[in-house]
Amino acid sequence: MAISSTEAPRSTHLPAILHFAATLGVALFIMIAGLGISVVAALAVFTAVNAILPDIKLLQAVLVMLLGVAACFGYFWGSNRILDMAYPARGENIAANINSANAIRPWLFLGPAVVILGIYLVYPVINSIILSFHGPDGNQWVGGANYAWLAKDAAFRESMRNNIFWLIVVPTAATFFGLVSAALTDRIGWGNIAKSLIFMPMAISFVGASVIWKFIYDFRPQGSEQIGILNAIVTFFGGDPQAWITLPLWNNFFLMVILIWIQTGFAMVILSAALRGIPEETIEAAIIDGASPFQIFYKIKVPQIWGTIAVVWTTITILVLKVFDIVLAMTNGQWGTQVLANYMFDWMFRGLDFGRASTIALVIMAMVTPIMVWNIREARKDMK
Amino acid sequence: MKTPLLAGAVALALCSAAPMVVSGGALAADLKFAPGEDARFNWKSFEDFKAAHDLSGQEMSLFGPWLSADKDLIESVTAYFEEATGAKVKYSGSDSFEQQIVIDTQAGSAPNVAVFPQPGLASDLASKGLLVPLGNETADWIKNNYAAGQSWVDLGTYEGKDGTSAFYAFPYKADVKSLVWFVPENFEDAGYEVPTTMEELKALSEQIVADGATPWCIGLGSGGATGWPATDWVEDLMLRTQPPEVYDQWVRNEIPFDDERVVAAIDEFGAFAKNDKYVDGGTSAVVSTDFRDSPKGLFASPPKCYMHRQASFIPSFFPEGTELGRDADFFYFPAYAEKDLGTPVLGAGTLFAITKDSEVARAFIDFLKTPIAHEIWMAQAGFLTPYTGANPDAYANDALRKQGEILTSATTFRFDASDLMPGKIGAGAFWTGMIDYVGGKSAKDVGAEIQKEWDAIK
Amino acid sequence: MSSVVGTRPALTWAVHLSVLFLVALWTLPTLGILVSSFRDKDQLAVSGWWTALVPAERNIVARAAPPEDAVAENGNWIIAGNVFEGSGKATAFGISSREPAAYAVGDTVELRDGGRLTLDATGDYTISYVKKPDGNRGQRIFVTSVEPPKFTTANYRTVLFSEGLGKSFINTMTVTIPATVIPILIAAYAAYALAWMQFPGRALLLATIVGLLVVPLQMSLIPLLRLYNDIGIGKSFIGIWLAHTAFGLPLAIYLLRNYMAGLPREIIESARVDGASDFEIFRKIILPLSFPALASFAIFQFLWVWNDLLVATVFLGNNEEQLVLTGRLRELLGSRGGNWEILTASAFVAIVVPILVFFAMQRYLVRGLLAGSVKGG
Repeated sequence: MAISSTEAPRSTHLPAILHFAATLGVALFIMIAGLGISVVAALAVFTAVNAILPDIKLLQAVLVMLLGVAACFGYFWGSNRILDMAYPARGENIAANINSANAIRPWLFLGPAVVILGIYLVYPVINSIILSFHGPDGNQWVGGANYAWLAKDAAFRESMRNNIFWLIVVPTAATFFGLVSAALTDRIGWGNIAKSLIFMPMAISFVGASVIWKFIYDFRPQGSEQIGILNAIVTFFGGDPQAWITLPLWNNFFLMVILIWIQTGFAMVILSAALRGIPEETIEAAIIDGASPFQIFYKIKVPQIWGTIAVVWTTITILVLKVFDIVLAMTNGQWGTQVLANYMFDWMFRGLDFGRASTIALVIMAMVTPIMVWNIREARKDMK
Repeated sequence: MKTPLLAGAVALALCSAAPMVVSGGALAADLKFAPGEDARFNWKSFEDFKAAHDLSGQEMSLFGPWLSADKDLIESVTAYFEEATGAKVKYSGSDSFEQQIVIDTQAGSAPNVAVFPQPGLASDLASKGLLVPLGNETADWIKNNYAAGQSWVDLGTYEGKDGTSAFYAFPYKADVKSLVWFVPENFEDAGYEVPTTMEELKALSEQIVADGATPWCIGLGSGGATGWPATDWVEDLMLRTQPPEVYDQWVRNEIPFDDERVVAAIDEFGAFAKNDKYVDGGTSAVVSTDFRDSPKGLFASPPKCYMHRQASFIPSFFPEGTELGRDADFFYFPAYAEKDLGTPVLGAGTLFAITKDSEVARAFIDFLKTPIAHEIWMAQAGFLTPYTGANPDAYANDALRKQGEILTSATTFRFDASDLMPGKIGAGAFWTGMIDYVGGKSAKDVGAEIQKEWDAIK
Repeated sequence: MSSVVGTRPALTWAVHLSVLFLVALWTLPTLGILVSSFRDKDQLAVSGWWTALVPAERNIVARAAPPEDAVAENGNWIIAGNVFEGSGKATAFGISSREPAAYAVGDTVELRDGGRLTLDATGDYTISYVKKPDGNRGQRIFVTSVEPPKFTTANYRTVLFSEGLGKSFINTMTVTIPATVIPILIAAYAAYALAWMQFPGRALLLATIVGLLVVPLQMSLIPLLRLYNDIGIGKSFIGIWLAHTAFGLPLAIYLLRNYMAGLPREIIESARVDGASDFEIFRKIILPLSFPALASFAIFQFLWVWNDLLVATVFLGNNEEQLVLTGRLRELLGSRGGNWEILTASAFVAIVVPILVFFAMQRYLVRGLLAGSVKGG
């Protein structure tokens, strides 16, 4: 596609690999140089400005913040400059220089991302795999003992069961409510205001949300005035107040409501965008055929945005697997509300057993594998 | 590929430069009580310590569970250490101390000294080689200078990474748990007397029910730690139904959790908490009422309950303006007259351990051996000490002094069992088990489940 | 599309009502804490926030001045005062916890120590003794009163000034801004390379990055903190910036690559023909064109970092210098569990900035996701 594509001579594989390695090597060298220059510059500016700046913590924080971001910009700019100087697009070797520069440049662009992802995500995954075969402090090899323990552990089974509930209920409900509110708000004048209000919980942290919902589920014994709205409604209609988050099995759903409440806005915004992307002609044709608004919605619009629905569903599913804040803040897994992520946290910090914690973490990863495979397939399709 | 490392190192230099500039200009912290002025304090110990230590310009970090008011209190004590040595103590507190200290010690960013609210956690970390032994000299000092010294030494003695026992954690600040709080005027209005035996206490509970009121407020809610107040009940009742040796065996899991003696103690608790007539709001309210809200029932009009069993820290959750002795008071959670077990006392306390060795950290532990380090906090709030060298006159009020007496006059003193058990049990399965128990499960089943979990971590 | 509905007024009404219902349901929880955070703390603890505008009946326990403070007046010894700390209207009173509403306002009651107590509707009480009384414990007076609704900003003052939230606010800002900008920058370059540059291993790299979307970040906490300590970063802002950058990168690259791949090929190719290098193309063409996608990711990353607790707990200290807003809120939850007035006010303080950012940037959000997500599907 690119006019100066890197059609390296492919006589044998070995030179190609060597060539690739050399490219990476030069890229690495330039990366370090570019970073070095920008960091030294940032340091110099820091020293210079700090000398004039008054002793205020806030100002210094702002300065450090600005310089951190500037150093990041500086890297991209600097490394590209170095590359252009090393392989100038002029002179006698112009063709070879452009080719080399074009082979190296993607790695300058990708470098920081690859390095950071490698350190922060790939390395811990490998580390966890190793730890899952070791005992509590990660020193003695225990083989599959952690996995065997997990298979028999009742609390693990409970967490699995709850996680499956979460995986089924939360993405489905959030996507459903998101779709409904997207479809409805697109039809009315004050739709944008309504959208903003429904999206608002997205902006609330899990911890903040937990405070809000604790207030809703608050329980006072029968006879005293309820300050939690749910119990107030129940008692208003003559029912007995309930300690909602302690009701077995049901309490899981009361916790899920919190995440649905947060994620519906996300689903709504994305699905609303997708709905608007449907070509007008298809819908007009259906109207002429005499289809009712409901038929149009279910038979024409929904199939058109099926792909987006899947993306929303996937994103929320991944989030559900990782969620632990809500459970930790509301119940800490008591009353049968344990989920895998919190259970892992529990073994890590209360059980002090890194082997078992890692094993649970790997189970969480394994549970998302189908989604990962699906996503990779989609991405591949996209590349072609 | 060293780029992030390099960036990190440089930016670290950038970041760390900022706070240093600020802290350099800070003056010595204010001292709560001017040295030499109040005769209740042992100023000589302060001056001696000052003369023996000069650590000017050095710094140590102290990490503990105390926040807000308690944080101000510990800082009022460290201020004297700073004044005496010239070193700087940086205290930080967290309510998620238990997790934080694990992350920090494991990852190598440990504070110099950590304040453990639970010996179980300290013991876990010691066994991983993350604590520094304090030495026999300190252990001997505790033994000779604390009331019931040996039991305090045992509390801080753990097996290290190599399997040998050593003294790791210095007990400083104690709480008494065997207290029942009440409003004296409510007792007067109803004509009730403070019970002195468990039999009388149970008769009083019946009497209150017969009078159409509710004797107890019990709240086990505590967010993620829900259930812990029930463990205190069970431990207190264990000490009142079984000899202390059985209690020790229970703590060390030498008798199983579903041993009939343990099950009986749990059921003793159930006789209070699982009796709808005995507790405000009925049994279902026990689990869901926050332990901090629970004592407020004593002060309601009309009172929602007449008694509340809780540790010595609870007055900080009484309504604003409550004056101890006048608006609220406490009595010793009594023992059975018919069982010859004396007057057992359940307590808790915090333990100071060195997680990163330094000269200042060592000096700080030495500072805790001076009477003044105890008296400064005694003279403020919420601090009891078994240190016999500290002047009891320094206690800020009669309530504290009375609690101090309960602590020192106990025929049996035992530390909170849930704090001594491994974290997964004492701060996990035991809590959950108590919630299940109050929720309807039998004591036998709950005990068996906790035992199963204990077996799983052996 | 509104024309479709316009022909059926009944349906239009149904739509309006359903949206209204949804909006009400979704805003109710937040509204609850907003209202509560402005209420008087005593009222907040005993009545629901939806009754905030209605006068509330309360039972209070007041304590009269101690007998030893009685003053001689017309041959009697008098203690006088008011039971309310503010305003209120007494409807009944009592002197024993057993019968807190035994007497009507205006009645005179004989106390156990011989004094005679009377209380009027405004809460003024008088106790008169024939002889000079002694004792330092004042009489308890149980009052049933109707109190007007009370609103206050005191909760916010408490939270903002005495609980150290201001400091945490600045810390959160210091964490959030670079942790939003840096990943966008890095991801934008990487996304461009993955979308428009040719190099070996491109497909594999993209697949890996997508796969990394799902790594539970709990797995990386201890290994990374250990690494930080080994190389000397420890707990610092730079450490948390990089951590947030890393955890946000897969989604950022994924979203941005999808968007950039959808940009018209002709523009980029013609720029190449004109001799522009990839760096110039990126800076002059791709970046401006991708603005909506960048903005929408910025909102997500901002919200994510602002609201994060876990990463901050691990990579920043718990000291005053480094505690972030969510951490502070959690500590308030733990140490002040019973004080709803503190909780509600601090929760609202924590969410107000993300909500402002969201309202300010939501135009871009919708636009950016339109392109990104439709492609992504």
